[in-house]
Amino acid sequence: MKGKSLWSDARSRLRRDPIGMISFVVICGYLLVALLCATHLGFKGYNVVDNSIAYQEPSVVHWFGTDIFGRDVFDRAAHGTITSLTVGFFGAGLSVLIGTILGAVAGYFGGFADELITWFYTTIDTIPYILLVVAFSFVMGPSLTTLCLAIGLTSWIRHCRVVRAEFLKQRERDYVQAAAALGSGNLRRIFVHILPNTFHLILINFTLGFISAVKSEVILTYLGLGVKPGTPSWGAMISDARLELSRDVWWGLAAATIFMFFLVLAFTLFNDALRDALDPKLKSR
Amino acid sequence: MAQRILVLFALAAALASCTHRSRTPLNSIAYSLKSNVKSLDPAQAGDEYVNEVVPNIVEGLLQYHYLKRPLEVIPQLADGMPKVSKDGLTHTFKIKKGVRFQDSEVFPDGKGREVVAADFIYSWKRIADTRTKSDGFWIFDGKIKGINEWRDKLAKGTGKFEDPIEGLVAPDDHTLIVKLNKPYFQLYYVLTQAYAGVIPHEAVEKYGAEFLNHPVGTGPYKLDHWIRGNKVILSRNPNWHGETYPTEGEKGDLEAGLLADAGKPLPFVDQLIFYEIPEDQPRWLTMMKGAVDFSDLPKDNYDGAVEKDAKTLKPQLVKKGIRLFIAPNADIVYISMNQEDPILGKNVNLRRALALAYNTVPSLEKFYNNRGIVAQSPIPPGLDGYDPNFKNPWKEFNLEKAKEYLAKAGYPGGKGLPPIEYSTTSSSTSNQMAEYLEQQFAPLGIKIVVVANSWPQFTDRIRTKKSQIFGIAWRVDYPDPQNMFQLLYGPNSSPGPNNSNFNNPEFNKLYEESLTLPPGPARTKIYQKLRDIFVDQLPWIPTVHRLDYRILHSWVKNYKHNPIMHGDYKYMRVDVDNKREMKEKL
Amino acid sequence: MGKYIFRRVLYMIPILFGVTLVTFLLFNVAGGDPAAQAAGRYATPAQIQAMRVEMGLDKPMVVQYLNMVKQIFTLDWGRSWSSKQQISILIKEGVGPSLSLTIPAFILTLLISIPLALVMAYKRNSIFDKSLLVSCLALISISSVFYVLAGQYFISYKLGWFPIWGWDPTWEGRWDYVALPLLIMVILSIGGDILFFRTVFLEEMYQDYVRTARSKGLPERRVLFKHVLKNALIPIITLVVLEIPFLILGSLLLESYFGIPGLGNLIYRAIQESDFPVIKAMTIMSAVLYIVLQLVTDVLYALVDPKVRFE
Repeated sequence: MKGKSLWSDARSRLRRDPIGMISFVVICGYLLVALLCATHLGFKGYNVVDNSIAYQEPSVVHWFGTDIFGRDVFDRAAHGTITSLTVGFFGAGLSVLIGTILGAVAGYFGGFADELITWFYTTIDTIPYILLVVAFSFVMGPSLTTLCLAIGLTSWIRHCRVVRAEFLKQRERDYVQAAAALGSGNLRRIFVHILPNTFHLILINFTLGFISAVKSEVILTYLGLGVKPGTPSWGAMISDARLELSRDVWWGLAAATIFMFFLVLAFTLFNDALRDALDPKLKSR
Repeated sequence: MAQRILVLFALAAALASCTHRSRTPLNSIAYSLKSNVKSLDPAQAGDEYVNEVVPNIVEGLLQYHYLKRPLEVIPQLADGMPKVSKDGLTHTFKIKKGVRFQDSEVFPDGKGREVVAADFIYSWKRIADTRTKSDGFWIFDGKIKGINEWRDKLAKGTGKFEDPIEGLVAPDDHTLIVKLNKPYFQLYYVLTQAYAGVIPHEAVEKYGAEFLNHPVGTGPYKLDHWIRGNKVILSRNPNWHGETYPTEGEKGDLEAGLLADAGKPLPFVDQLIFYEIPEDQPRWLTMMKGAVDFSDLPKDNYDGAVEKDAKTLKPQLVKKGIRLFIAPNADIVYISMNQEDPILGKNVNLRRALALAYNTVPSLEKFYNNRGIVAQSPIPPGLDGYDPNFKNPWKEFNLEKAKEYLAKAGYPGGKGLPPIEYSTTSSSTSNQMAEYLEQQFAPLGIKIVVVANSWPQFTDRIRTKKSQIFGIAWRVDYPDPQNMFQLLYGPNSSPGPNNSNFNNPEFNKLYEESLTLPPGPARTKIYQKLRDIFVDQLPWIPTVHRLDYRILHSWVKNYKHNPIMHGDYKYMRVDVDNKREMKEKL
Repeated sequence: MGKYIFRRVLYMIPILFGVTLVTFLLFNVAGGDPAAQAAGRYATPAQIQAMRVEMGLDKPMVVQYLNMVKQIFTLDWGRSWSSKQQISILIKEGVGPSLSLTIPAFILTLLISIPLALVMAYKRNSIFDKSLLVSCLALISISSVFYVLAGQYFISYKLGWFPIWGWDPTWEGRWDYVALPLLIMVILSIGGDILFFRTVFLEEMYQDYVRTARSKGLPERRVLFKHVLKNALIPIITLVVLEIPFLILGSLLLESYFGIPGLGNLIYRAIQESDFPVIKAMTIMSAVLYIVLQLVTDVLYALVDPKVRFE
């Protein structure tokens, strides 16, 4: 089947791509850090309060110094990974899920369903993203869940368009017609035959959405619509620099920015590598 | 090609920076506000930023003496202090003759007309009119004869605005008689507030809902222009009736140079500029560069500015010629516990446990840089009834005792106590304070759930009594502890200012009694009794009484601000030569 | 041609309806109780109820929705909850400052990124290409908040090259204050733009017709400029044009931090103060602008490429 050979082909191409592999390793590294933090096996200094050493400069003991409550900034930045990975995964995941379902229905069934869905996403697309997310956050109150939901519910359009186009293209193809002739119902045709051919799009758009979600978390936290106070997050550390920078406390901003930098960069490079592996005609490098 | 573009861009940027110089006149005072100015209508003076700007444009019958302490009320537009009847219920004010409103297009030939007593009645009626939606009515509420009836009739539609109010009479153009229902010892204080300021009816009739953008008053300054979201500029009012700088003050004023301009005509400065800068960083940096003339001291810049003794500035600021000014603030920061909450309201031992577990000293250092003292009760330093030796037994930081009382409350070790909701706003500092609170109660096994909102949502939750505990502050509107105790008076519960919904019959009775007494030892005794009831029932955890720190540039003269006073920019002077010279160096 | 325009306008209507519907549902559901806000801080329940009637909130949802639509058509956005200022005036005042920042930033970004992307595609895998590639990747991996905070602190304050904060309403005076935010805005956008344009150019360069042109012996430069650029410009222009309506929103971060009294600042304050009429007005306004601009673009395309008219 067309699907399988694409994947094994892609995998071997990916393996031969050094940058792609390195970025994959880096991403796994972040997952490991998040795991260590979540199970409290590592980076334990993140909530050790000691008001006597508040706002200390970076030192051998505290690589990125301490924050307002004397907590180790490096460890807090490490814990911020959990927040960002959660927001990225669920935010992008939700958006890709919605986009896929709606795109599939629109592209496959066409007609009224297509018109309705197209109308719907054109409408949402016309509204500026930031205002949409703000409205959602207000209804649901700021929290991690809200952040994931808000990002997920507002960024599915791009993916939906792509999936819809793909389904439109695929439904007339021979193999689909053949499946119909053999008695496959609509659902089977959608899920078993066409959908697998869009997995590469899902993967690519998932990683793109992940990056966008991580960056959105920072901006939303800055606007006061982020996670609960006390939860370590890169957005909170960067936003707090509003107060800290003019008193020359730069280490919170630096730690969060550096942690975020490598994650976003790794995802970006990995996304490129995926693209190349899945569709060599599109040589972006 | 890329390099060429970059070079061009850098050149353009450099060019822009070369031409960047200040265009504000030197003989001006610029101050940066922590929030945006919403309106210039004195009816909205409950907003402290509106209240910073408007009193320079709008004046009232009375004001505070600039230099004398404790604060003393003196005439502003009134001609001498009023004559009071023996029973204290009738106050006869004489209005100064020849006071004119500023020139404005609302007057027939653009020339400001003379102020008459009827103008005061009009202005005060406007505050009482529910359609104005002013939150200033409390200054007259229930105090002036007939005003409540007038207000209710007007709201129902059975009365007209022009209907007379029994307690506000103007027998002639320069006499205003105020008749009270019962003795009101804070009357003169409230008449210094912008709510009681005088405005011409022509302005309100002409501008209607847009009056908030076109204030007209009798003050030393008038509105020049307002770039919303950026700055408000006031310029000298040539029509002003004139005042002179005070010739006496309190001990130490002469040495401090505060009497150097005694007797000279005011105002000294041609222009006032109020920048609207909510973010701490640009507010601080603009001060350091001399783009504003004086400013507050954000908590995060404090350590870099002030030495450990909390009185001396650090060398790098002294080098710039900057001075520090500290004023008592007569306020209180507290954690309010909703008395109508089923868990907290009935359980005084739970409240005591929370208070005993909250260590105020580190929070005083962390969030206020030790600029203040730990608060024991609602009475702040400097006011009647304040006792520096008074210790609130529940303000002692004692985890063991806290655990003991928690058990007495029925929740040993925190078991069985559902998570308590802490309501807060979502600024970076509020978030940090919320985290601190969580850390304080954690050792007791008490879980705190933080709910962060925008300010309107925050006040809405309080108003609808949905919040369990929340942090808030209150600064007195005038130097009388009554203004603090009214926050604990039962009938003032939400939606009123009593945000903890405290309703203790004994407290309420004593409070009402205190209103009937003039300032004096008898009243002070009652205030202390009220304080004792408060301490016993503990609807709040009092945390801090703050001090007001300002930093001023070397060229700002005659600065003696008190947070209760407003409209005192007219006394400030700028040493223009010094300013020109120093700004080059900054 | 007229028929085509008519069809496009017809298509606009359900979208406009959808936008107003979504906005209404979102903001009137999310908006909390506007009556409580408007009635003042210590209003009694009776006063709030009176306010509700005055604002028409006691009427059924459908009526409220129709009222909103009517207000939009008459451009009556109402008054801000927090400041009681007329929103249409706030918008009018904010457009100038916002556009003074976003239009130059937009143009400058394009002027820098398109040529750079073209050269990078032309010299792909060279040192030039690779180093710029890395720089762009680095630029987009950093949060915009970082650029704003650090930019003001290091460049304005520490280096003193630009004013820290503020605005001058005069035409000559404003560029002082726009300079640094403009610089930051360009830095924020060029990373992503260069990467995107470069990909578009590369994709175009690998098309069959390019190989054909090359095999025909055409010089590389001619191939590049005459064919690749022209064809690549179509997707580029499509995307770029769609960004234009959002220019009017200014920049929430830059304007609030640098004190530029534009629409971005207005929205930022509205978010802080839960000022829903303002957010609602900005949402609808920008949506309408977006729709109108799409219409204009479509018509322009139809003029350029007659085939489009018949789809």
